[in-house]
Amino acid sequence: MALPLPPGLTPPEIAFLCEMELVTVIPRQRLEGLELLGGSLPPLNPPHRTAMPLWLALLLKRQRRANILPPPWLSPHSLAAILEHETDHDDTFSPPPRLPPAPSSNALPFSAPFLSHATADAAPDALPYHWLELGEMLLEAAADDFEDPDNVRKLLRGLREVRMSKLRKRVEDLQAGGGVDMKGVGGMEVSEGRAFVTGVIDNLRRIGASLEQQRRDRDREETADSDDDDMSM
Amino acid sequence: MALQQRLRGRQAHTPGATFAAYTPNGKKLITVGVDNFCRIFSTGSDDEPVTVDDCQENNTAVVAGNDFFIAGSEDGTVSKYSLSDHKLEDIIVRTSLPVRDLALSPDGNWVAVASDELAVKVVNTKDMTQVQYLREQPRAVKHVAFDNSGSRLAVSCTDGNIYMYSLSSEDPDMLKKVDGMIRSLESDAEASSRVLWHPDGRAFATPTAGREIQVMSFSDWERQKTFKTGHSADITSAAWSPNGALLATTSSDLNLCLWDSQTQKLLKKYDDLKATILALAWHPTENILSYTNNDGELFIHTGIVPAEHSTLLQKPLQPAPFFHDPSEGRAGNAVNLTNGTKLDLPERQVRRAGTPDSLDDILGPDGLSDDGMDGFVVDDDGAGYAAAINGHGKRTNGHLGALQSPSGKRRAYGSSATFKPQAHESFQPGSTPWRGNRRYLCLNLAGFVWTVSQESSHHTVTVEFYDREFHRDFHFTDPFMYDKACLNDNGTLFSCQPHDSNPAMIYYRPHETWTTRTDWRTNLPVGESITAIALSSSYIVVTTSTNYVRIYTLFGIPLRVYRTKASPAVTCAAWRNYILTIGNGPVAGDGTCQLLYTIENVARDEIHQSEDIVALTPNSTLSSVFFSDEGDPYIYDSTGVLLTLIHWRTPGQARWVPMLDTALLSRLSSGQKQESYWPVAVSNRKFHCIILKGQDKYPYFPRPILSEFDFQMPLTSARSGKKANGGAKDADAMSDDEDGGPAEGETQSEQSRLEHALLLSSTLHAQLKSNLTHPTASPSTHQLSLLADLEVQINRTLLQLLGHECLAGEDRGMKALEIVGLFKDEDEQGRAKGKMLDLASKVATRYGREVLGAKIREVAERRMAGVGGAEEDE
Repeated sequence: MALPLPPGLTPPEIAFLCEMELVTVIPRQRLEGLELLGGSLPPLNPPHRTAMPLWLALLLKRQRRANILPPPWLSPHSLAAILEHETDHDDTFSPPPRLPPAPSSNALPFSAPFLSHATADAAPDALPYHWLELGEMLLEAAADDFEDPDNVRKLLRGLREVRMSKLRKRVEDLQAGGGVDMKGVGGMEVSEGRAFVTGVIDNLRRIGASLEQQRRDRDREETADSDDDDMSM
Repeated sequence: MALQQRLRGRQAHTPGATFAAYTPNGKKLITVGVDNFCRIFSTGSDDEPVTVDDCQENNTAVVAGNDFFIAGSEDGTVSKYSLSDHKLEDIIVRTSLPVRDLALSPDGNWVAVASDELAVKVVNTKDMTQVQYLREQPRAVKHVAFDNSGSRLAVSCTDGNIYMYSLSSEDPDMLKKVDGMIRSLESDAEASSRVLWHPDGRAFATPTAGREIQVMSFSDWERQKTFKTGHSADITSAAWSPNGALLATTSSDLNLCLWDSQTQKLLKKYDDLKATILALAWHPTENILSYTNNDGELFIHTGIVPAEHSTLLQKPLQPAPFFHDPSEGRAGNAVNLTNGTKLDLPERQVRRAGTPDSLDDILGPDGLSDDGMDGFVVDDDGAGYAAAINGHGKRTNGHLGALQSPSGKRRAYGSSATFKPQAHESFQPGSTPWRGNRRYLCLNLAGFVWTVSQESSHHTVTVEFYDREFHRDFHFTDPFMYDKACLNDNGTLFSCQPHDSNPAMIYYRPHETWTTRTDWRTNLPVGESITAIALSSSYIVVTTSTNYVRIYTLFGIPLRVYRTKASPAVTCAAWRNYILTIGNGPVAGDGTCQLLYTIENVARDEIHQSEDIVALTPNSTLSSVFFSDEGDPYIYDSTGVLLTLIHWRTPGQARWVPMLDTALLSRLSSGQKQESYWPVAVSNRKFHCIILKGQDKYPYFPRPILSEFDFQMPLTSARSGKKANGGAKDADAMSDDEDGGPAEGETQSEQSRLEHALLLSSTLHAQLKSNLTHPTASPSTHQLSLLADLEVQINRTLLQLLGHECLAGEDRGMKALEIVGLFKDEDEQGRAKGKMLDLASKVATRYGREVLGAKIREVAERRMAGVGGAEEDE
């Protein structure tokens, strides 16, 4: 109760998690290999491309020691295609990237540092989980590495609005006690939608609860009346 | 001068704007003006002109074919008149607003009409129901101009942009909007913004806002040279002479100037004009320039080019004034002219006298034949469906191979006349030709060297590195005009060709030194030019036009000079002590020279491969040659295949192995992308290249980023169908869980992936092993560990393949046993260790294939007991 934070992850926390994603950089300086907690980083040798976590890439980019290659789905062409898909299909979100086939061992590498959804060889036709925050961060720190940053920014904005409005519209279904298909919704969108959706559900629950309460009261009164009748009898 | 005395204005029309045009054969000159008739002057006669009545008034443009002319008027009528009976033939088109300009395609079939309406109409002169509309421009159009092929139309719009259309397809499409060339003018202004196509068709020029004439190349839209006209008022008209050697400009400051195209120098200035000239028309063949002014007068100026310069007019077609001619090849080779004849103007050359009743005489010249749309088939994408025409107006045999001559009577001339082997032209790996005023001299993984040609006959060379910290970028002014460069981590090597009296020179500049000055230059003998240079970490190699290979140490000590056996030399490459030279060898069956390469070790003075063949497919050329970072030679050919040489240290054992066929890349499998790959290097077993979009052949500025591709030996073509839309590069990401495709297909693709991995790692293993086991090699521990890694990789892939076969069923046992035989399971002495066979039998047992397991154990026992290579001999 002392913690004033709303439930769930806050946007900065999601952005922090997003920094774990691997991106492709073209280094401009040599750097020895690093042993990071998230895994080891091969030595950087310009102009060989290297995949590294986003936080390190942003650090090197700010120091002008590297150029970040935006993932293919952040190209204006792909974004326009995805946006078209979003506007055409009113009831579903564009599908998330395909997962690699499950390896034979029981480890399930289906999360950030093991999947390369933001590197230069990612699929160009699907938005990964961290698409919004990754796009925003890259546009903020490495706008000069984009071919057409303004257009990308515009398209990202459009995508965000289309998808958020869809998410809000979905809430109508919740009243019937049904579920909402969240496939393809990104991390930041979950976080943004959470306050609204949980609020709605909470209110629905409260309304439902008060109705329940009323009914229960009525029931109790009825039984009480009958009790009284019994007593009177 | 006597001629000039006779120059007098002829009052062709009542005072007012007057325009003139010559017929293509130069016999007639037609003028139109404000009054309601046109006049037809005959060249070379002082007789009264023929008057064509029943015209519109206020004519604004006229164009002429050989037997008709077309005039456009301010009332919006475009009329066609016959030159044979001097009558109105047709009204071709009417516009609702005044006509401003007309342009006639060179074949005379189409006329483009610019009016104050927004759309430009392109109307067929013979069938006026055929009309094309060009609607991209947002405002009225001032001028239109067809290029020499008639397939492109330049539209000068009043908004100050040029809209370039291609008319070669059914629907015209806009190629390019060129801004910043012309000025925004009112559509009825006297000043001109007309696009002047240079007669060689590769460039055009326009008057600019600064009253200059700016040349722009058509292929890459780069600004080329400028004519600084010095007119004090707006340019009202300009025209190239028919061969492109001269440019005439005139302006409302009442001057008429003649310029030399090549030097952009003023040849002659006529300043005795009385009124502003509105139209200039060169006679197609003679030294005559006719012009009409805004006072109704026509001047037929014979001998306009002064006698001392008149030879300029006699020259064949001159190239447009480029900074660097695009045809100036990678090594400065001359353009290959078709059939050995000089490119010439059709009208100006000596035509071979026609035989009586020859087909050409009966049908008339090609250009004006009556074949409607056929004249519009123009070979603008080089696909070869419209044959080029040689200097004699005949189609060439360029579509035939070098040795294929037409059968029949030609045989009589003997074979020596037609036997023309095609030598591969020399090139410097990693360099690009001039585009505009800049080019890359060298582009590799260390950095890039580029040069910019400055106007005052020097270049500025810039060397940039990828690793900014390790080396500092530098740039310098270059009076020698270096045309080749090599760059590596130690230094930069430049070379220049001989010019004027200076011999060819090479210049080496180390990056870091501990003495004050260590860069050095050395001259080659007079008359020897350089075809290619190469720089390794210890030697410098120069191949020259006299077929010498010159080897220097890094600090300029000449170490070796010898003549190559394969000549002329094509290119060379170097890595540490190894140098690779490539030259033209004997002529192969298809008439092209076979390329031969030689690899030698300079330090040990030992030849590894002597005059061996560079394996190219017929009709393909070599694009690049380089050593990988591991020191293996790689070539990239014009069909987009990257090949490497394995076993190259043992003479006679070398063979070319394709490592990547870019045509089979999965990114191209959708068939929508059109791109090519410009090779840069091979490093870390990846192919580094620059992706070029569309028709581009060479990278340009700003420097595109490097892309890298994994090796992919051409085993199967790219996956098709539903997999193609995945777009991802590697096989793992391709398989989709979405539609849960049939497991059969997945296993299939997994199997082909494993097979490819097996072949790739065995090839790399074979290459590395033969390098390391060669007597001269002194393998480092790193290399040995790489070799061991590859061996483990091969065995792992084989085990996976074996697992697949076992899983597939008992009846695949034969294939499984075959896989078992492929294991790399030998120690240094070549004895079998048997470890892999143990593993294999375990795999078989795990899948419950007992029969197979027993057979594997049998093989293992035989190997352990038997002589080493017993089963290989079977």
